[in-house]
Amino acid sequence: MSLLINLVIAAAIVGFAGYEIYKSVKRSKGGGCNACDYQCDTKEMLKQHSSKLN
Amino acid sequence: MATVALLGNPNTGKTTLFNELTDKYAYVGNWTGVTVDKKMGTLRHTKIAVVDLPGVYSLNPITKDESVAIEYLLHGDPDLILNVTNASQLKRNLLLTIELLEFGTPVIIALNMIDDLNRTNVTYDLPTLAQRLHCQLKATNARNKKGVAQLRDDLVASLTELPPAAALHITYPTLVEQGITQAAKKLAAEHGMTPDFARWLTIQFMNQNQTIRAYAQAHDLKPLLQSAPFYDAQNFENQIFTTRLTFIEDTLAAARRQNTPTSQSELTNQIDRWVTHPLLGLPIFVVIFYLMFKLSFDWIGTPLSDGLNALVSGPISHGANSLLTSLGALPFLKSLIVDGVIAGVGGVLTFMPQIFVLFACISILEDSGYMARAALVTDRLMQMIGLNGKSFIPLIIGFGCNVTGIMATRTIEQPKERLITTLISPFMSCSARLPIYSLFVAAFFARNQALVVLSIYFLGIAVALIMAKVYQLVFKVKGNSNFMIELPQYHLPRPDIILQGTWDKGKGFVKKAGTIIFAGTVLIWLLSNLSFHGPVTDIDQSFAADLGRWLLPVFAPLGVGSWEIVSALLTGIMAKEVISSSMIILFHFTGRTALVATFANLFTPLSAYALLVFILLYIPCFSTLATIKAETGSTKWTIYSAVSSFIIAYGLAFLIYQIGSLFI
Amino acid sequence: MQLLSDNAYRSQFTVRTMDQIDELTTRQLHNLGIQTGSLINVVRFYPFHGPVVIQVDQQRLALRYRIYRQLVGGH
Repeated sequence: MSLLINLVIAAAIVGFAGYEIYKSVKRSKGGGCNACDYQCDTKEMLKQHSSKLN
Repeated sequence: MATVALLGNPNTGKTTLFNELTDKYAYVGNWTGVTVDKKMGTLRHTKIAVVDLPGVYSLNPITKDESVAIEYLLHGDPDLILNVTNASQLKRNLLLTIELLEFGTPVIIALNMIDDLNRTNVTYDLPTLAQRLHCQLKATNARNKKGVAQLRDDLVASLTELPPAAALHITYPTLVEQGITQAAKKLAAEHGMTPDFARWLTIQFMNQNQTIRAYAQAHDLKPLLQSAPFYDAQNFENQIFTTRLTFIEDTLAAARRQNTPTSQSELTNQIDRWVTHPLLGLPIFVVIFYLMFKLSFDWIGTPLSDGLNALVSGPISHGANSLLTSLGALPFLKSLIVDGVIAGVGGVLTFMPQIFVLFACISILEDSGYMARAALVTDRLMQMIGLNGKSFIPLIIGFGCNVTGIMATRTIEQPKERLITTLISPFMSCSARLPIYSLFVAAFFARNQALVVLSIYFLGIAVALIMAKVYQLVFKVKGNSNFMIELPQYHLPRPDIILQGTWDKGKGFVKKAGTIIFAGTVLIWLLSNLSFHGPVTDIDQSFAADLGRWLLPVFAPLGVGSWEIVSALLTGIMAKEVISSSMIILFHFTGRTALVATFANLFTPLSAYALLVFILLYIPCFSTLATIKAETGSTKWTIYSAVSSFIIAYGLAFLIYQIGSLFI
Repeated sequence: MQLLSDNAYRSQFTVRTMDQIDELTTRQLHNLGIQTGSLINVVRFYPFHGPVVIQVDQQRLALRYRIYRQLVGGH
């Protein structure tokens, strides 16, 4: 495998990790339900509701 | 599309019935207050929408979650109401039924838990009840699916040819009746309401229903607003209640039949004789928790977990390594994947069996009806602390995840009590902290794993309660809370409900493995392989080492002797699971077996225990802090929560280590 | 230990009046099927004036000792 491919894969892994941290910080800023990782029924309903509005 | 609304008292099996009627699964528990918001589903094999509403005793809400029902009736416009009742407590259940029958939407009553009634020496003649209440009644037992298919067919049939909406008219005392007639007439004339709705609205208004009073204000319903002082002065609320009760008693007396009971009704009493014993109740509560940890750490969880660990650190790790080598991957990529992602994320995932066994145990307790008893036997203690029995529920939920625990404090009416419960919630040991306990108890307390974990959990509860008392004194809260709880009949837990409940609680953990745990693992790998001068091969030169060594003096008084532990603790603020994966990576292992062996050189049992106490109590994870911020609406309280928990954790771990060192 | 001859400890009683109880608590009691005239069986006391388990119409409930005293009457 060439150096380039190695670098691309490593970058992809690190990039995904960075994106996940960014996402969780952003989500947590919303606080409350958003900060929680559980996909409960209330959250599902909220999602359906907001997608209907848009 | 037609809509059916499920309404009924708490703990009548509404949610179980909802799950049987619809294709969608919702969370079930044999305790009051499981449903805090409405849930939607569709009736099996049809397009009919079904709405499950939180259990209410009446349409007059006491807490915020109870107002969902009345709001739904006002704005949701269901085509049919399915009133779920507990057949063995009809007298009390019918109070709500009357309010629904007066509303005018067609009602079908499900006499649920009919098996419980059949165990008593009373039964009711359904045709007589149906005739007196002017609506259909069906006997069901949702737990063993009895009568559910029939009920489903009846719902469909009723919806295709809707029975004429005929509201129930009870004759109230003359003065009340005059008031109703006058107001309803004006409402119909001036505001264009149907006579039934006007009558219902007037009765609810008289009944001090705050939601309806607000509705009257908002719509400027003068006929009602002008008469409010008169209604209240004459105590119409009480007269309405008494009339309804008399009506119910007459109805039930007419339908009552003698029954030869099946002999099983004593079972609940037999169990309760011991489980809620005044003196033995608390010890039994502790023993039940001990057995839970025994199952998770000794009997089932750990053996499975060890098997998974052998798989991850053996075949999977080696396989990935040789595969990457054969593909020609460079050493840094191999290290990132094998030593980083597989060791770290895989290492945390191997704790899944222990966490799932614990969640299964909690689900069994919920489904059987024990939770209400747990609240009962601990109530005296809660009263001493000045907390309401309602605070107990968010705390137990906090064992799963502190964020959900804090969200559950919304059911507490008192703002100060709610703030206190929010502040003490992070001390409850959430499931994310379990992997790290598991690592340490395997290393130092192999014989008493369950006991040590139990002591950590109870220490968390004790700190939470002591802090609650301190806050009570500081905020000068008067402990005048009411505690009333129903003790439902015990149920034999149903396997599918347990399975579903376990998955509901555990899926967050699995999902986090792919997101924040993965991210934290990669981050700590980067920190341990980079320095100011670029990549390093010797981990002792890395960022992680610099950071850990810099803070090491702070932690030395707690018996922490290596920088790896300090760095791992820092990453724990992202998510507590990351502490475990960080340790695996920082100590350079492919799995946790070797890690456990290394601990033996770094810790004594005493310093290990002090560290566990510190991990239990120190700064809540980022999500929890964010939730405290959102729920209290105050940055001050959020910072306070982080700082105070660090100080408490540090102080307690310090005391344990220093005082313990004198003796050992 | 409390003296069991204290008239607060009865095995069965009828609620005579609920006037001493505040409005919110009264509503909660009504919701659980307890009103003036209810026949209440006392199932169990907890030590140190802890909660009291009662039975009304086949239904078991637990409530705080203070409310129990108000239901019994006196004080």
